Amino acid sequence: MTGKDMLKITMNLVVVYLIGGLILAVVYAKTSPIMYRNAVVAKEAALRKLVPEADTIEKLGDWTVHEKHAEYFVAKKGDTVIGYIIQSFGKGYSSYINTLVAVDKDFKVRMISILGHAETPGLGDEIESDSFKNQFTDKDIDHLKVLKTETTEYVQAISGATISSRAVTEDAVRNGVDFLTKTVKGEGSDDADRHD
Amino acid sequence: MTQTGTTDYVGLIRNGIFKENTIFKLALSLCPSIAVTNNLRNGFLMGVAVLFVQVMVNITISLMRNFIHPRIRLPIFMLIISGWVTITDMSMAAFAPEAYKQMGLYIQLIVAFASILARAEMFASKNKFMPSMFDGIGMGLGFLLALTVISFFRELLGKGSLWGFPIIQAKPLLILILPAGGFFAVGILMGFFNWMSMRNEKRRHPDRAA
Repeated sequence: MTGKDMLKITMNLVVVYLIGGLILAVVYAKTSPIMYRNAVVAKEAALRKLVPEADTIEKLGDWTVHEKHAEYFVAKKGDTVIGYIIQSFGKGYSSYINTLVAVDKDFKVRMISILGHAETPGLGDEIESDSFKNQFTDKDIDHLKVLKTETTEYVQAISGATISSRAVTEDAVRNGVDFLTKTVKGEGSDDADRHD
Repeated sequence: MTQTGTTDYVGLIRNGIFKENTIFKLALSLCPSIAVTNNLRNGFLMGVAVLFVQVMVNITISLMRNFIHPRIRLPIFMLIISGWVTITDMSMAAFAPEAYKQMGLYIQLIVAFASILARAEMFASKNKFMPSMFDGIGMGLGFLLALTVISFFRELLGKGSLWGFPIIQAKPLLILILPAGGFFAVGILMGFFNWMSMRNEKRRHPDRAA
């Protein structure tokens, strides 16, 4: 290798990295605010869809799960509380699964919605299918358990995606419901009786 | 080695679809062809994403081919590929969020596709702009076709549905949508494709021994 080769190779890499980096920076600068807005809109739409009969959905507070920031909300119709929604994360096969869980005021799951994940296409991404999500309706915290056999009492795992199914059910949803039960119930019955 | 006349664009496209079909003939990128083809929609969308990236990468590399030093061509090809994949990924997330929701997972996978790097190395780095573009279109269409056919059979027989709509009521062969079934499906279709093209070859040149 001559000095000329070395110079050319260096130049090649410098130019390609520089131009590539610049292009990516420009694209990122242009797209990231739109992506952020899309995410906000998607989240609001998902919240509405989870409790369609609610008049207002108010943010109650923030919490952390898997070191990620998440929020929880209360859904009201008029002045009566009809349920709660909590954002939660579950550690899946190849990503953290971003989930919204809607519960009624007895903390039974009404519906869940998957906001984002990077599970295996074709296998893990079946967690987004209605047939999987509908299984959660009316389950209380004791029935948020994944079985590999056919079941309606618990949650049936997706074939080929047991890890993703567990991550949603036993990690994201169960932790979310657990947190809501402890926090919201605790606040509600503050003056009535304290167990601790 | 493919060396086609500069004007034979149709030939370049035919070459990508039949003679050098990425999956059925070159047996490249078999990983995605098994991973994403358990339903028709996924297979088709993946094919579309690959088609786009393949064309853009071929064009870029063809334009830069005299500038790149041969010793570091592979790292530079990888850089160009990942650049295009990232641009595609970010633009789709911003401007087509609905489609991105369905395709986002696959787009990032394209970086690791042997078929795209192979075309950059074997064709685009040695040919002019137009042939490289048509080679990209041909190879991309071939890939799209292969994924569509594979996922058609896997979803139809494995789930009894197509594009999510139920078609067959009988109990489906679950194995076909699992990874092992992917190997069966790809293998059988590859055999069928090659048998067909051998038969065509014989019919066109009956005097030549197979």
